[in-house]
Amino acid sequence: MTKPQDKLRGWAAARRAILSGLRFTSLRLRLVVVFGLVALTAAVSASGIAYWLNREAVLTRTQDAVLRDFQQEMQNRAGTLPAHPTQDELQHTAGQMAASSQRFSVLLVAEDASGRTVVGNSGALDTFSLADVPESLRTAVGREQSITSSNKYPYHLYWQRIIDGDEPYLVAGTKVIGGGPAGYMLKSLEPEEKDLNSLAWSLGIATGLALIGSALLAQAAATTVLKPVHRLGIAARRLGEGKLDTRLRVSGTDELADLARTFNHTAEALETRVADMSARDEASRRFVADMSHELRTPLTAITAVTEILEEELDAETGSIDPMIEPAVKLVVSETRRLNSLVENLMEVTRFDAGTARLVLDYVDIADQITACIDARAWLDAVELDAERGIMSRLDPRRLDVILANLIGNALKHGGSPVRVSVRVSDADAADADLLIEVQDHGPGIPEDVLPHVFDRFYKASASRPRSEGSGLGLSIALENAHIHGGEITAANSPKGGAVFTLRLPRDASALTETPAEPNGANANGEGA
Amino acid sequence: MGQNASVPSLLLIEDDDAIRTALELSLTRQGHRVATAATGEDGLKLLREQRPDLIVLDVMLPGIDGFEVCRRIRRTDQLPIILLTARSDDIDVVVGLESGADDYVVKPVQGRVLDARIRAVLRRGERESNDSASFGSLVIDRSAMTVTKNGEDLQLTPTELRLLLELSRRPGQALSRQQLLRLVWEHDYLGDSRLVDACVQRLRAKVEDVPSSPTLIRTVRGVGYRLDSPQ
Repeated sequence: MTKPQDKLRGWAAARRAILSGLRFTSLRLRLVVVFGLVALTAAVSASGIAYWLNREAVLTRTQDAVLRDFQQEMQNRAGTLPAHPTQDELQHTAGQMAASSQRFSVLLVAEDASGRTVVGNSGALDTFSLADVPESLRTAVGREQSITSSNKYPYHLYWQRIIDGDEPYLVAGTKVIGGGPAGYMLKSLEPEEKDLNSLAWSLGIATGLALIGSALLAQAAATTVLKPVHRLGIAARRLGEGKLDTRLRVSGTDELADLARTFNHTAEALETRVADMSARDEASRRFVADMSHELRTPLTAITAVTEILEEELDAETGSIDPMIEPAVKLVVSETRRLNSLVENLMEVTRFDAGTARLVLDYVDIADQITACIDARAWLDAVELDAERGIMSRLDPRRLDVILANLIGNALKHGGSPVRVSVRVSDADAADADLLIEVQDHGPGIPEDVLPHVFDRFYKASASRPRSEGSGLGLSIALENAHIHGGEITAANSPKGGAVFTLRLPRDASALTETPAEPNGANANGEGA
Repeated sequence: MGQNASVPSLLLIEDDDAIRTALELSLTRQGHRVATAATGEDGLKLLREQRPDLIVLDVMLPGIDGFEVCRRIRRTDQLPIILLTARSDDIDVVVGLESGADDYVVKPVQGRVLDARIRAVLRRGERESNDSASFGSLVIDRSAMTVTKNGEDLQLTPTELRLLLELSRRPGQALSRQQLLRLVWEHDYLGDSRLVDACVQRLRAKVEDVPSSPTLIRTVRGVGYRLDSPQ
């Protein structure tokens, strides 16, 4: 018993199957059409030839038997008639002749003693008269042949197939040699016609079956061809999506199996190559990371000791020999530079390795910027246009790195005053962005340099003196903006000077996997 | 704590000879008495013998690492610990703070910064006023610098105590993490807010009845923390 939903499910499955079949419509259809044409050609030609041969064989056999009988009868019966038989004699003989096993009608034509043409027929088919015999046949029968070495008889037996009404007939005629009557016979070929018709029907049905069979075969062939192709398509797509471990199951030894094997080899080679490259990439990254870690240890010792030297310099007690004072100063300043370089290198390797994390807090942006400027003694050189009270959830240390690099860069290349302005893109929207613009009053950035300002170790021109910057500052600033889900863009202001625009989301917490806020369960936000 | 209140004694546990020597030089110059140890095991032995006022502890140590040393110290002692992390990788900092450190400094450390941190940590234990306050069963005695819960003394590190004092000075008022970093840790505007979170968690474990659902130290979402009297 089929429940309605079973039926529904079956229907849906069928529709799915059809839809999935449609994906390869063209190839499947082409295969079916080709198979069908081949089957049709073969079946039609085979049936046609078979039908034609059969028809000839059947008709000839029947005809030969009938004609032999008729000839026999003519010799036996009509040959014994007197030269001028009466109507009755003719009628009688025709009746006797027709009684033979072949069941044909007989018509005898002779001249009686008075020179009248008399006609006797077998009576079975009383419609058989001279009118039924074609004129051409009568002429041929009546014509006396000249006797030669190759032709021993003056009269021959002639036959013809005619259609009377819808029925096929065999009509034949001859003349008794030596002035006897002319005899005609009429034999219905209907039984043979019926046999041949049923043969034609059978052949037609066989052709139809062959067509259906070929269509099914084409479907099966298409499926066996298309299934591996389909699988190959899926595998290729997966490979394209970066799943390099994708492999095909190879079965058989045909061309498709070859293709699958080639695919597997290619995927394997690709995987090896990619693994090789990423391993090399990884190795070089790890080298930089390890290197900067290793640099840190001696640097920590040097830094600690350098401070002692620095204090001696500041002490102004003359404890340091004036001869070596420049050397000490150099060591102190270069140690500081080395420190910041290693610090930046570490920062870069953390970004490259993807281990950089956000430590989020709610901060007042204006306060943060003021503190950043203040800590670096830039208050005189920077104009700040920011309202207090713009709270954002971000990583304050990273914001400081961005601001210090942007403002420091502006001061270095653009000259003071540097103008820093803070806006909120759309104050009412929940996902509003924070926009911080840092604008200098320098000559701006050349157009050809503009796309490269965030590149690592990019120097605008070789002639420019090496500044104390590590060449990583803007790159690190950009990475810090990215890790917040923000962006920094560089442009030239129409009023002159370069403008760096930092865009940060006001709440970056969506980017971190909800940092375990101590006791978030007890979040009663009442009364701040 | 220390034998001489005016000269704080420090224990520096650091495996790298150069760093140990340099930091010892630098800290001694800043006016500290410095004892040094090259491994965690030696450090723990020295700790028992010398009773320093503060420990400066490297994270990457041969044998038992800095985190483990920190945990072992915290089992018996509440003296301040400052971690020296060679990496500022976040996992290190978080693990260090969870194992009970009061503050951390990232290498390459500047002697002056380390000195400032040391002095800030040591100041947390100094008493300021002579009153006391009670929050439910919790009694904070500011003159004796002790905290009791249901009459029992609580063992708080100086940092935990200072955090509780700063919160108790403004009961019912939410303090932001940045404010607490300034008040308790004396950090500038770039203080690591995780210091506050880690310390709050340790403090809750000691003062709350059920640390996972605190009734005294409440989180104020989007602001920070506040101390309430339980209703």
